[in-house]
Amino acid sequence: MSNSTVVLRAYRDGLHLIIRPHLSITEVEAAIQQEISRMNRSLTGASVQIDLKSPTLKKEEIESLSFKLQETYDLTVRNVEIADEPVAPPIAAAPTTHVISPTTDIRNHQNSEPSRIVPHTIRSGQTEECPQGSLIIYGDVNSGGEVRAGGDIVVLGTLRGKALAGMNGRVSAVIIAMDFEPLHLQIGDYVKNSPVSQEPRGCLKIARIGAEDAITVEKFVKS
Amino acid sequence: MGRVIVVTSGKGGVGKTTSTANLGTALALLDNSVVAVDADVGLRNLDIVMGLESRVVYTSMDVIEKQCELKKALVKDRRVDGLMVLPASQKNNKDDIQPEQMKAICDKLRTMNDFVLVDSPAGIERGFRNASAGADEAIVVTTPDVSAIRDADRIIGLLQNAEIEPINLIINRFSPQLVGNGSMMDQADVLDILNIDLIGVVPEDSGVITSTNRGIPLVYEEGSPSAQAYMRIARRLTGQRIPIPNLENKGLFSNLVNWFTKKR
Ligand SMILES: Nc1ncnc2c1ncn2[C@@H]1O[C@H](COP(=O)(O)OP(=O)(O)OP(=O)(O)O)[C@@H](O)[C@H]1O
Ligand SMILES: [Mg+2]
Repeated sequence: MSNSTVVLRAYRDGLHLIIRPHLSITEVEAAIQQEISRMNRSLTGASVQIDLKSPTLKKEEIESLSFKLQETYDLTVRNVEIADEPVAPPIAAAPTTHVISPTTDIRNHQNSEPSRIVPHTIRSGQTEECPQGSLIIYGDVNSGGEVRAGGDIVVLGTLRGKALAGMNGRVSAVIIAMDFEPLHLQIGDYVKNSPVSQEPRGCLKIARIGAEDAITVEKFVKS
Repeated sequence: MGRVIVVTSGKGGVGKTTSTANLGTALALLDNSVVAVDADVGLRNLDIVMGLESRVVYTSMDVIEKQCELKKALVKDRRVDGLMVLPASQKNNKDDIQPEQMKAICDKLRTMNDFVLVDSPAGIERGFRNASAGADEAIVVTTPDVSAIRDADRIIGLLQNAEIEPINLIINRFSPQLVGNGSMMDQADVLDILNIDLIGVVPEDSGVITSTNRGIPLVYEEGSPSAQAYMRIARRLTGQRIPIPNLENKGLFSNLVNWFTKKR
């Protein structure tokens, strides 16, 4: 994931451009450019709704943003929705109001931590754990098996059992697997039961806490 | 020196005893000397499935308690030479035997025979530990349903921890019709989860129940597909490379395609 400050999502009513709070207009524009270049299909002629998570952008800024989206990407803004409650700044945030800021991407939040490699499939009844670092499994995690890590979890196979990343409350942790058929995913305090991923089998997928403040599973995109 | 193979499953009722009786008979029909050991102490039924119930005099418990010689406790099969059964005591329970005692029995039996097949009870407790204590290899039996597969997975983990190797898989009660209409897992799905070598697939067959009731192992019914499946498994155990027919797709060509699957 290159950048989670701005996320483009397809919903039933069309595309939404979700903009996290506490960003300057320059940050937002840079993030939009990254997010759109990340998409591998053309957005030409599409319409988007802008979801602003807090009213930190000025009215003129939003107008100029809409204009730029039209000019640069041929994207029509059909609606702008602004969450009316201001959100507390991320520094003071309790674990529940975390923000995945540009500096906490998945590469650098675990610099010096040890990670542990398990060179085989985790079978039913088996548990593997790495409380201080990340866990890498060369195989599957089968139904009835469990993996837990303080950092990330990477499964080079199918995740069918239970996975708990960020076990000490670190909500920026992610779970990456070849295929997701898990019974139970947990990142920090966020829990998701039996998520189904729309992505095809055999391509890496990533679970993390997304812009909607819930665990999402999507195709893994290199940063 | 013979091979000691434990036949086990985790989940109950998936066909361990049926498989032990049929593989024992099939191996003996292929001129091997075989002892089938009933390790299901307290719930013995290998002797019944093999039609030898009336011949049981001593059990492994008597051997352990030194009431009789091991040789004297072995029951000779009535149909094929080279096949014997070591019955389990019906009046004791699994905790009355120690894993080391079972291992000692298996070690003695392997000096006199080509194959020692141990019919394990269901579960992961003492009974399983007794049955696997003397084994070098394992055959895990599963039916193609999620609960049996999860239990098989659990057992495979325990066998691997005990460094029992190879571990081969039999998929029993397989129904091409049910796979065809999407209500049963196919072979690939089962292997994808369990990730061990497949040694055979035995179809669902009502003949299994009639043969159990008559006390004549199925392998004598030469026309039966499940009998043929057990014969092929026995040949594979002796090292012959025989393809596993693809029951899912009964085309002449596809039958030839699915060679002995190596998956690791
Ligand atoms: N291929 C098959 N087709 C139809 N029925 C079968 C098949 N295999 C086994 N069965 C039936 O399933 C039942 C259980 O078989 P079996 O006793 O061999 O299982 P088991 O694993 O030894 O059970 P336990 O765990 O109680 O020892 C029996 O009634 C048997 O006839
Ligand atoms: Mg049995």
